[in-house]
Parts: sequence; structure tokens; C-alpha cells
Amino acid sequence: MIDIIFLWIAAGLTIAIFSFLYKDNPFYKLAEHIYVGSAASFWFLYLWYFDVEPKILGPFKELFKTYGFLKMWPHFGPTQWILFIPIFLSICMLLRFIPPVAWLSRWAIAFTVGMAAGLGVTGALQGFIIPQIQATILPLFEKDILTSFNNIIIVVATICTLFYFFFSKEHKGALGLFSKIGITFIMIAFGASFGYTIMARVSLLIGRIHFLIYEWLGSLF
Amino acid sequence: MKKEVPLAITFISGFVLIVALFIPHEPFGSLQERFNDWYIIVSGFTLILGIDSLLLYHWRKIKRKEKEAPYSIALILSFIITLIWGIHSGIKYGSPFSPNSTFLRYFYTYIFVPLQATMFSLLAFFIASAAYRAFRARGLNATLLLISAGIVMLGRVPKGEDFAPYFIGITFILIAIVSFLEAIPRVNLYEKLIFYGISIISIILIFPIGYLLKIHLPSIADWIMNVPQLGAKRGLFIGISLGAIAMALRIILGIERTYLK
Amino acid sequence: MKEFFEKISRIDRRIIYVIVFISILIPLLIKKGFEFEPLPEVKNAYEFIENLPEGANCLISIDYDAASMPELQPLLEVMLIHLFRKNLKVIMMGHWPLGLPLGQIALEKIARELGKKYGEDYVFLGYRPGIAAVMLNMGKEIRMVFDVDYKGIPLDSLPLMRNVHNYNDIALLIGFEAGAVGDAWVQFAQARYGQKIILTSTAVVAPDLYPYFQAKQIVGLIGGLRGAADYENLVKKRGFAFSGMTAQTIVHIIIIIFIILGNIGYIALRRLR
Repeated sequence: MIDIIFLWIAAGLTIAIFSFLYKDNPFYKLAEHIYVGSAASFWFLYLWYFDVEPKILGPFKELFKTYGFLKMWPHFGPTQWILFIPIFLSICMLLRFIPPVAWLSRWAIAFTVGMAAGLGVTGALQGFIIPQIQATILPLFEKDILTSFNNIIIVVATICTLFYFFFSKEHKGALGLFSKIGITFIMIAFGASFGYTIMARVSLLIGRIHFLIYEWLGSLF
Repeated sequence: MKKEVPLAITFISGFVLIVALFIPHEPFGSLQERFNDWYIIVSGFTLILGIDSLLLYHWRKIKRKEKEAPYSIALILSFIITLIWGIHSGIKYGSPFSPNSTFLRYFYTYIFVPLQATMFSLLAFFIASAAYRAFRARGLNATLLLISAGIVMLGRVPKGEDFAPYFIGITFILIAIVSFLEAIPRVNLYEKLIFYGISIISIILIFPIGYLLKIHLPSIADWIMNVPQLGAKRGLFIGISLGAIAMALRIILGIERTYLK
Repeated sequence: MKEFFEKISRIDRRIIYVIVFISILIPLLIKKGFEFEPLPEVKNAYEFIENLPEGANCLISIDYDAASMPELQPLLEVMLIHLFRKNLKVIMMGHWPLGLPLGQIALEKIARELGKKYGEDYVFLGYRPGIAAVMLNMGKEIRMVFDVDYKGIPLDSLPLMRNVHNYNDIALLIGFEAGAVGDAWVQFAQARYGQKIILTSTAVVAPDLYPYFQAKQIVGLIGGLRGAADYENLVKKRGFAFSGMTAQTIVHIIIIIFIILGNIGYIALRRLR
């Protein structure tokens, strides 16, 4: 019974969102705001149960159960003490909303930005640039004509695309020619991406209509 | 102090990670693991920052009694109800994300998923309308984009190749008509011949190209994805990666400081 | 004449919406499917899993949410059926909290149908923020990131996880991608630790992953509803993805017709001016 009620709620919310296709209306706005509010709460719960509880509270749990809050401190080991650094940074992050001490949030943001930058450099270099350049070094003259042709196209497309994005010099002469070839390949790539994007978006709609017909209306018959 | 300490933190954290790639031994290897562990904890709180900003924005809307304040009330109410429901399920089932919890079985399945899925499914309508309105063969590059999109759209779906000859027929007939109409007012004999020639060739090509597409369209779509598209995307992403590395180095070295504002 | 071409280049968007809706509704009601050959990159993924030894560990990463559910959820279910049929062990985690319960729901459903036991045949680890940091630390020791599963049970108490410490103990990683996390998996798990990866993705992301497939950084690529339908055919368990492909064909044809109409109107009006 509860499942049927919630199924109708789901169908109602689906139709409320679809009503936007006719024009913007209060039902759509209400559904949209419910979505945003519940998504924010969902993130919050997930962060609590999968980040704060296991990573911050977890290492202190056993000691807290055995000794209580006041008496557990002398029993802290290196694992517990070192955890105070990320705890301090996490609290600093939240101090952004208290103007007198908001400057402390810069320390936490600096840490996350520095980490993201470091991870970005190493990942891009080791994980993308080097393997991809290696994969572009292809034999241009093979026994199979089609393989040769494909390899030549891949190499020319990669190099000419890179030339197109070189804006330090005006696109004239040889650079201009390579850029023109590059933009041709980019247009082919964007066309293919557009075709795939249409496929993706249509799939989402197929999913929703399938739900309305077979799950919602199907429950009536 | 207020600027120097954050810059030092950025430099140390970024530097350790880069050095650890080349020297994975002590102390850099274990420092990298330690920093990664702290990053896992602290990055979660950046999301909480975003959530707080959202709630504060809507709270201010309610306080100022703006026109859309009732929707902000709905937003904050849905936040509170979801939170209470989740905490209640957490206490009753051990975790709100336990398979038996009402939070997962009812809230997530029948409220959250339909809302999110439907919100994004609207894009199908918008992309169809946008494609109709904006997708014009204005020049060679736009035409190439159109052709590539059409081949992939028909080549990647079942029976798409059966319909391709009809579309190619219509396209070539249109090219023939436009070329013929272009030829009529031309005075220069050479230009006239070129346009009449294009017109005739378009008509002649309908059958062979249509036949070729009917048999080989999926292979042509495969080829487009695995050869020219691949090459262009590779070039694009190498360029993006180089830019990202440059930007990351600027941040680590303290040249780029916009994140400190 | 001019009014005719103006009409066809300015069709009301609501008429387009109705036509798109009907062109999906009718094929879904008629339920007729068409046969098609699976793509080579999907076949590669299927054959890699087929060749895994019994009892091998597979890590599944759920990096999508309800917005990509119609493309990736059917694929996840059919891949889980394939993995469990081959008696492979499944460890599930994710980087998108809003979608991770979808993975959990599918895992519990398929495990229950095939009589698999939690802790012995499959484990659900949950989520940790940090993406790349998580991937790097998992390469050293999984317990540095996940010392407990989603229920709070220590990993060493779970028979499946006792001998799983890092990527060396994981035969295959399958990423279900709707964003850029797939790139991170390749750049960190594959590049640094040599982890074998199959990436399944929404059709939006799929074209960007072909360079990885050609460079052999991933062993298989399954993109969009077409990839999901191909996999359903290969596993011989046709479901939503296969039945949805007919609707896909019809809508693609309708959209191409609209594009042609728009261009006819545009070219004709340009000439008439």
C-alpha cells in the first residue's frame, strides 16, 4: 500500500517537472525547490555517514566507549593526535561564515587547492600526456593500406588540432594551413559528440516515459 | 600571516605530491599518503560549505519576504524533513543507506530519483528544439559537423542504415536545386558550368552514396569515432592537460592567488 | 511561397515536444526490437570478463547519479549478472554520493536473485570524498581509505576482503561514469598501478574515452544505451536497454527530419531575400 502511495507521489513529481515544457508554473517551481533542498540534505547525510563518522569519529570511538570523553585524552596515540590537523582544517573551512575569523578558512582552502593542483599535475602528466603521445606515435606505412590511412589521419588530426589551439602567433602561412585542417577535424569530432549527446538525452527521456507507462500506469492494470 | 601561511600550505602540499611521483620512497611517499588522507577528510567539508551557502541564500530570501519566498520555504522544509528522515532511519536501521531503511526504499527511490531523472530528461526536448532551430549548414565546417552528427546518429542505432539513403537523397536533391538556382543568374560561363555540374553530379551520386550508406553506415560511424574523432579529441585534451598543468604550477608557486579571495 | 518556408523554419517548440514524446511512446508500447551487431569495444569488455578466472576480484565504481540512470542502471544490472554467473567477487564503491544508492540497490537485488552472500561474494564499501586521493591511497592499501564497509564492519571481518589490500589483488576495475571520474581512474589507478579498467559511460562522455581505448589504457569501453543494449545481447539477458533502442532510432530520425526542415527553410528564405 505504502509503495503504491509513493509510486503516485513519484509520478506526480515527474509530471510536475514535465509541466515546465508547456510553461513555467508553480508546480514545476515547487518540485524544483524540493529537489534542491532534498539533494542538499542527502549530500549532508552522506558526508556524515561516509566521511565524518568513519574518518574523524571512528578512530576515537573505542577510546570514547572505554574511558569516556574526559579520560580518553591521555590514551591518544599518534593516530589520534595527527588527526587533529585535518580536524582543525575542517573547522577552519566552516569558519568562513563567521566574519572575524573567516580568514582562517583560507588555510583549509589553500590545502585543498594545493592538493588538487598537485594531483592534477601528476595525473595529467603520467596518466594522460605521456601515454597519449606514445599512442600517437604510430607507423604511417603499413602493409594494410587501411591501417596506414587510419594511422595517418590520427597523427594529422592530433597534430593539426594542437596547432589550431596555438594562439601566440597569427594563423597565417603554414600555421594557418595546419589550423584549418585542425578545425576541420574538430568539427567532425564535435559533430560526433553532438550525435552521442542526442543519444544520451533521448535515453533519459525513454527512461522516464518507460517509468510512467510501465511502473505508474502499469500498477493500475 | 594571513596570506603567507596559505601560500606556504599550497606550495608544500602541491610540491610533496609532485616530488612523490618521482621519489615514492620516504619521506615523500608516506607524506603523500598522509596528505591524501587529510584531503579525503577536508574535501568533504568544502561540500558542506556549499550547502550552507545555499541555505543562507534562501533563508535571506524568506527574511526579506521576496516574491519567491514560499519556494525557499519549501526548499528549507524539504532539507529539514530529509535530514530528520535520514537521521531517524540511521538510528532505527544503523544507517539511512541500509537496504531495509525507509529512507532508501521510499525517499530515495520514489522522491529523489524521479525528481533528478525527470529534471535531466527535459534536456531531450530542449536538444531536439535547439537542433531544429540552430543547426544550420552555414559554411563548410558547419556542414561537416552536421554530416558527422547525422552519420553517428543513424549509424549507432538499429536500422538507422535503412533510413540513411532517404536522407541522403533529400540532401542531394536540395544541393542539386540550390546549385541549379545559383547557376541560372550567373553570367560567367565557367561559373555556370561549375554550378550545373554540381547539380548533375548531386543527382547522379544519390543512388551510389545511398547504397554505400545502406551497407556500410555502421562501419563509417565506427570509423568516425575511432579515427578522426579520436585524433581531434586527443589533440584537444592534450592541449587542455598542458593548460591545466600550467595553471596548477602557477597555483603551487603562488603566482595565481585568486583562490585566496 | 515565402510564408510556407517561414512556417517550416519557425515550427512552435511545443509541437516538436509533442512529436518527440509520441515518437518515444509508440515504440515503447509496441515493444518491437531490432537485431544489431555489438560494437568491438563492447565485445572487448565482455571477452575480458569472460576470460577472468573464477573467484577473481572485481572493483565496481559507481560514478553516476539518477540523471544517467536509464543508460547505466540496466548495464550495471546485466554486468552484475555476468560477474556473478562467472563466480567473480564484487567490491562496490563510488565517488558520486547522489547515485551510489542506485548501485547499492542493483547489487542487493541481483545478489539476492542469484543467491550470493554479503561478505563472501560481494561487499559494499560506500563513499569517501577526494576522488584522486582515494584512488592513490587505495593503490597502497584499501584500508587506508575504507577501514570499514558501509555498515561499519571492519574489512578484516569480511572473508572477501581479507586478502584484498590494493589494486594488485583486484583483477578488474569497472567504472560507471557520467563525468570526469573515469579520467581520474585511468590517470591514477591505471597509469600508476597498472590496474586493468573497463569504462562504461553515458553517451555524452563516451566519445572522450576513445583515446584511452586506442592507447590501450582501458581494456573495454561501453558507451550509452547502445553499449548497454550490446552487453545485454552478449550476456543473453535482454532488458530495458535493448527495448529502448527502437525508440532511440525513431527519435533520431525525427530529429534529423527537423534539422533538414530547418535547413530547407533557412536556405530558401536566404535565397528569397
